[in-house]
Amino acid sequence: MLAYIAQRLMTGFVTLFAVAAIVFLVMRVIPGDAAVMMTGAGAGVVSDEELAQVRKKLGLDRAIPIQFADWAGDVARLDLGTSLRTGNPVINDVARRFPYTLQIVIMAMVLAVGIGVPIGVIAARFMGTGLDRAIQAFSIAGLAAPSFWVGLLLILGLVKYFNWSAPLFWEPFWISPLKSMSQLIWPAVAVGLRQLALIARMTRSIMLEVLGEDYIRTARAKGLSEWTVVFHHGLRNGLLPVVTLVGFEFAALFGGLIITETVFSVPGLGQYVVTSILARDYPAAQGIVLILASIVVLGNLAIDLLYGWLDPRTRLQGA
Amino acid sequence: MYPRDAFKTRAVTRRTMLATGASALALSLSAPSMALAQTPKRGGTLRISNGGDPPDFDLHQSATYLTQFVGAPCYSTLLRIDPSDYNKLVPDLAEKYDVSADGKTVTFKLRSGVLFHNGMTLTAEDVVYSLDRIRKPPAGLVSPRKGLLGNITNVKAVGDLTVVITLAQAQLDFPFLVSNPYNVILCKKVAEPLDAQGQGMKRQIVGTGPFKLTQAVDGQIYEMERFDKYFGKAAYLDKLQFFPIKGEIERSAALQGKRIDACFFFPNESVLSTLRKVPDITELRRPTPTFINLIPNVKMKPFDDPRVREAISLAIDRDAFIKTVGPLAGAAFHSKGLMLPGSPYSLSDTEVKQFGGYDTLPGMGGNVAANRQKAMTLLEQAGVPKGFKVVMIARGDVPAFRDSSINIAAQLKTIGLDASVDIRDAGAFYAAENKGDFQLIAHSVALSGSLPDQILGEGYTSFGGRNYGQWKDDSIDDRFRAQSAEPDPDKRKKLIHDFQIAFLKTYFQINLAWVGYGAAHSKSVKGWNAMPDLYANMQMDTVWLDS
Repeated sequence: MLAYIAQRLMTGFVTLFAVAAIVFLVMRVIPGDAAVMMTGAGAGVVSDEELAQVRKKLGLDRAIPIQFADWAGDVARLDLGTSLRTGNPVINDVARRFPYTLQIVIMAMVLAVGIGVPIGVIAARFMGTGLDRAIQAFSIAGLAAPSFWVGLLLILGLVKYFNWSAPLFWEPFWISPLKSMSQLIWPAVAVGLRQLALIARMTRSIMLEVLGEDYIRTARAKGLSEWTVVFHHGLRNGLLPVVTLVGFEFAALFGGLIITETVFSVPGLGQYVVTSILARDYPAAQGIVLILASIVVLGNLAIDLLYGWLDPRTRLQGA
Repeated sequence: MYPRDAFKTRAVTRRTMLATGASALALSLSAPSMALAQTPKRGGTLRISNGGDPPDFDLHQSATYLTQFVGAPCYSTLLRIDPSDYNKLVPDLAEKYDVSADGKTVTFKLRSGVLFHNGMTLTAEDVVYSLDRIRKPPAGLVSPRKGLLGNITNVKAVGDLTVVITLAQAQLDFPFLVSNPYNVILCKKVAEPLDAQGQGMKRQIVGTGPFKLTQAVDGQIYEMERFDKYFGKAAYLDKLQFFPIKGEIERSAALQGKRIDACFFFPNESVLSTLRKVPDITELRRPTPTFINLIPNVKMKPFDDPRVREAISLAIDRDAFIKTVGPLAGAAFHSKGLMLPGSPYSLSDTEVKQFGGYDTLPGMGGNVAANRQKAMTLLEQAGVPKGFKVVMIARGDVPAFRDSSINIAAQLKTIGLDASVDIRDAGAFYAAENKGDFQLIAHSVALSGSLPDQILGEGYTSFGGRNYGQWKDDSIDDRFRAQSAEPDPDKRKKLIHDFQIAFLKTYFQINLAWVGYGAAHSKSVKGWNAMPDLYANMQMDTVWLDS
């Protein structure tokens, strides 16, 4: 198992290096560099000399491979550089913002799994009934509604009917967990609705398959309660694809938060990455993409390990 | 030519400039004259939101209201616009100024004992450094408004409290230009070393204004508290807090939910109209010196041909443009000529109608179909093939760029051009624009003020910094300089009139509409007078809370 983990970590490292190189290159080939944005070109025509001076100051006049080697060397020492926009070390900006994003992602996934799995099971158990159709309609609507639109509707609805609007100060979880969760519940709902719908549909479809298996019929024949048959024998065996989906969606949520955080003005990573890219803040954009890629790589590794725990057949003996 | 004593006890105003040419006179300026119906209350925190985080704090290097709004309460200028009257200048750091008989030497006498937020005392050297920094930025820094002070040939300190400015030629608008809200006075001892590193004042604010920056957290809050050693009358508010809420709807919801007290920047009329129905909220839209122009790149064929540029202007139904784009981008106003809507320098209807397509401005009764027919004839004469491809690059994040471009592209199709829009993010848009890598753009241009030297100088000269279309015409630039130096108001008015006629004939820029900024605040916010200029009156020292 240790060898397997080491092998996966090595693959992950190569993946991260490739991501870093691609992001670095993409940031430099898209039109409009950091110098153009920093000189506020929108205020008027900036001379080539002025732009050249700023590029020189930023080190952008050097060859791209040299710039990449410098940056990669810093990253290897866990130094993501200094944000051109905020002037802070990128790692500090990330450390301040990451907890909010992580908390929304966790809350969204808890909502999605906590509601999506049971209603998926219920829909399968009562297939073809009005309840099943209602759950299916709900999940299709959840899949179709973009999170930013749901967020805007929530904001407008809450202010219109409850005079509630998004807070200006977001309480960190470790200071006041309850207050923090009550503040972030709406962004979590906005972003988690799609995941909830997806998980409900996936659970329903897997459970329909599982509930027709011989061992389920056997369990029922043994006189076990329906609850035990469905949740103990059925759900446990049907959970594997759902876990895979949860793993992927957990990672995808970090990217999906970009717009939701902007809508609710949550000072999280999503807002930071979009602002950094638009401002051509190279160190910040590169650093944050690298961190997000690391989360995806580690998330996938965790899911693979979870597989072995859930399904002994997939355990890698001596691997 | 410049009677020295004529207006010694009067404040200088835009109106007196127009009426008497009195701006370049010896003046002793009056104090701010807020006419207040209620007795202001002291204390409280004003919570404001606009469209996002300021990219940095260096006002001299900036051109965005996001920076200016956060910087204005912390800084001072030599003179300032009267908080109750946009047309009047009152003392700020300079208690008076004097203009020489030939109008070429302006002497500012500074207040004594003015303190920066770091405890240092303001001296004339700080003013000299600041003005030189704007007109001749140190290496690695940029100055978008250096053209505004381009008439200065020398700035020198005489003693600790006197600054003498020498101009290349007399300039009536100079007191307003030097007191532009962006032209704040920095502390030389703080700024100079940072400038030498090429960093400038991007990360800190050390000013002499009524508020002092105490907290700046990217994405969360910009907080300032009253500066108790402020040289002027102390601000009423204890604190100001700016919150970078990016979306219009979200800002509006925050105001309705009473999380904030005031917010700015509502291009979309539907958001303002929602707020209009809320009893405790006051909303407004004011014209501001920002126009939306169509700018052909004259270095690119066939836009080097004036017939093609005129044809494009003829194709535009301006009334339809304002009705369609106006509610989306705040482009609700129009002017007759190049100056601000309602300006005393506006052209007559007859004069405006002589220029292709301008007879379709609201209420002018132009014939759109006939104009477009004429446009097609002009294109044919210029040898432009039918179906000629025109790609308009547009900035995607600002409705004034994006929605204007979409509307114009649709209108250009009516004269047989194959027009389309290439929407880009700000960085990609400005990179192409700065390189002159475009055919035709619809551009929202926010100018630094509404005086002739600001609108014509910045917007319509080849050297003013906004010459995106890369045209060159010495006669236009000479006309600008002539009106700028003319002390006689009637003669100047004639020169400004002639400038507008001459420029409109070139179709170097084709005016579509003027923008009005939207703002809204709780009715408990008092003492803030919305100016016809987004940047004016943002020091917030006269604002108080009635709650």
